[in-house]
Amino acid sequence: MREAHPTDEWQMKSNVKDEVCYAQPKTLEQRVAIAQDFTKRYKYTVPFGIDDMTNEADAAYSAWPERLYVIDESGHIAYRGGMGPFNYRPAEIREWLAARYGAVRHETPAGTPPTSSNSSATTGPATGGSSTTAASAPESETKSAK
Amino acid sequence: MGVRDSVKRFFKWFAGVVAVLLVAAFAFFSYMAGSPKDAYGMVRYALPHMHRGALKVGSDAPDARLVSLDGTSRFHIREKTAGRPLVLVFGSFT
Repeated sequence: MREAHPTDEWQMKSNVKDEVCYAQPKTLEQRVAIAQDFTKRYKYTVPFGIDDMTNEADAAYSAWPERLYVIDESGHIAYRGGMGPFNYRPAEIREWLAARYGAVRHETPAGTPPTSSNSSATTGPATGGSSTTAASAPESETKSAK
Repeated sequence: MGVRDSVKRFFKWFAGVVAVLLVAAFAFFSYMAGSPKDAYGMVRYALPHMHRGALKVGSDAPDARLVSLDGTSRFHIREKTAGRPLVLVFGSFT
């Protein structure tokens, strides 16, 4: 979806420090290129989807700048996270998955505060105030939408 | 002093108070956001795109079409929900 801190809008110092400097994409191709850069740089293996320039997914899920959801097997929303960045809490997803499925296979990344449950998630790097997190559990699928 | 002069003075005074309040609000907002640049950035670029939305836990998950990482093929979010839960992580690189 739309970039949160592009160079031609509200760029943060951390964008420069982390070398995440992109102008706001004006075409789908530009969005795809940024998404490909991201997955390549961080070796991001979670299935990935990109919102096209109509921002359909963002509009449907009020996703911008970042948000987490869990959709259950019946196609209903089982978890709706708060709007990021301040209410973006990957730990809540981990807890939801752990409560539903028990221990999660992936190791907790370094720097993540310990939780009471025996669950973990893979957390992507945080740049410019945004972060991307992927959590996996048995019999569930994770998709990232940019 | 005529009525017109009094009204003019009142509006000048009122405009002055409003200007002071706006400056104070911006100063406070700048403090909360971290800097005047960040306060401006938030108001100008972030707030217009932030939407609370009406979805709740229990709502039917809306469908949307996404583009695959190859840039050409597309898929629907709901295609991925059949039979097992799906975690959606929305965000941007920057």
